[in-house]
Amino acid sequence: MKILGIDTSGYANAVGVINGNQTLADFTFEARNDSLEKIVANIDFVLKEAGLSLEDIEGFGGGLGPGSWTGIRVGVTVTKILAYSTNKPVSGVSTLEVLAYQARNMSGLICPIINAGAGDTVYAAFYRSKDGTVSRAGEYYVGDIQGLAKMIKEPTVFIGAEAQAYSRLISQALGSPNGIRAIEDVPRGSAVALLAATCLENGKNDDALSLAPLYLKESTAKAFVNRYSRSAQVKD
Amino acid sequence: MLVLGIETSCDETAAALVTDGKILLSNKIATQLDLLQKFGGVVPEIAARRHTELIGYVIKEALDSANKTLADVEAIAVTAKQGLIGCLLVGVAAAKSLSYALHIPLIGVHHIEGHIFANLLSNPQIPMPHICLTVSGGHTMLVFVQDYCQYELLGSTLDDAAGEAFDKIAKFLDLGFPGGPVIDKLAVRGNRKAFDFPRPLLKAKMLDFSFSGLKTAIINAFKHRIANGETLPLEDIAASFQEAIVDVLVSKTLHAALQRKVSAISVTGGVSANRRLREVFLETCRQEEIEVFFPELSLCTDNAAMIATAGYARLRQGKVDDLNLNVIPNIPLEVKGGR
Repeated sequence: MKILGIDTSGYANAVGVINGNQTLADFTFEARNDSLEKIVANIDFVLKEAGLSLEDIEGFGGGLGPGSWTGIRVGVTVTKILAYSTNKPVSGVSTLEVLAYQARNMSGLICPIINAGAGDTVYAAFYRSKDGTVSRAGEYYVGDIQGLAKMIKEPTVFIGAEAQAYSRLISQALGSPNGIRAIEDVPRGSAVALLAATCLENGKNDDALSLAPLYLKESTAKAFVNRYSRSAQVKD
Repeated sequence: MLVLGIETSCDETAAALVTDGKILLSNKIATQLDLLQKFGGVVPEIAARRHTELIGYVIKEALDSANKTLADVEAIAVTAKQGLIGCLLVGVAAAKSLSYALHIPLIGVHHIEGHIFANLLSNPQIPMPHICLTVSGGHTMLVFVQDYCQYELLGSTLDDAAGEAFDKIAKFLDLGFPGGPVIDKLAVRGNRKAFDFPRPLLKAKMLDFSFSGLKTAIINAFKHRIANGETLPLEDIAASFQEAIVDVLVSKTLHAALQRKVSAISVTGGVSANRRLREVFLETCRQEEIEVFFPELSLCTDNAAMIATAGYARLRQGKVDDLNLNVIPNIPLEVKGGR
């Protein structure tokens, strides 16, 4: 299957195209405030690099985050509307899983880690790799590095754009760097597409119109109302 | 030519289909009134989240209810300027994707230009040039519309928008949200001369507006009585407050019309649904022999039909955007003769 993968949840935006297990084109570009401006033109660029047009694409993969809320909305909206307007299947994948998948050949526990923007808060999760796939062990983590460090009980490889710095903090918190490794990497469009392909092949399609970001944190206003308002509990 | 319009600049997720800038086929709006009432106003992050969830459904509904498919759509128009940045970008991301997938032109529209065209959709006979007053919860703007897509901004609010003043006074008097319809309704039974509230900048020759002083004057006049648990004459306050706002809006718009020697005035935006505003405009303009036009009620508040209509006019003038189209949250309406 020819799948287009898109992720705009971080400062490094990614677009990639695969055909089966083969990566046809993979492009990562920096987008700090201009994901919207660049994304569709870069999708066109990647498709041309792959020698394809949008009509050749048989399915879409969308990185759902967590990450920059505004950033994710650009990629998720583009993914859902491309899938809807071409009438092709779509699968949304967690950006944490995308990172874990990129470290699938490492031994030990895999911990993708993403800056959550507010102070030293991070998004993270633990994955185990087996036969070229990864599966999540436990819940998503949102919190500080010290809290994450307390969860480390075995050799772990951290992956993410700031993995080196985070792994140093975790080593300090644990008092030893033994078994802690770091891979600095950003999500790749081809990895989003490969994960989406697996879902689509197993019939795990998402509904294009209802595809939504993985925020993991509620908005500040909603948190405020839920904490202080007696009358209104705001739910999604 | 069938144009799909998309509007997500504030809290309404909207999509509409308009043929040749004239025939309205569908006009779908998903409001966030439930959220507004919960939070007492628009929370940008929450509104943007809702837009992302709804945008695809609203587009599909606009198509389904007009018995059209995406293959029938010949151009995409989207609000790209003026609004909340996080909200605007959901609509533009969707519009770009549609334009790219369907190989059809993409047109970015200024939100105020949309309101100007809301009235042209309702009343295509509005002559050029004319004066347009756009008055809503987010804007109070006087524009000299020289011709299609040629504008000169004559004045705007220096602080609160007129609709914002309605909302804030309604909130102060505990009347709920949004304030406009509630005050309009209460005012019918009130005495417009019960209180002599200030008419800010009424005597000044300038065409800018200011409404925050009026709001403060009302709050100062009644806050002690509220604190003492007195029952307020809500109908009279509503009628007198509304009269002050209407006075300012009508006289400044008329001043602009006489200054520019135009024969017509167009009033658009959410507040243009206000009954007293319409009444006074009609009465005053009749005396001055100036025609006045209002959009049909469904086109007063934010909608995508007006964006589709404006987009079609821009397209006819070759004003098309490419896939690099970006959003600009705060930018004046382009000036006369500009791009």
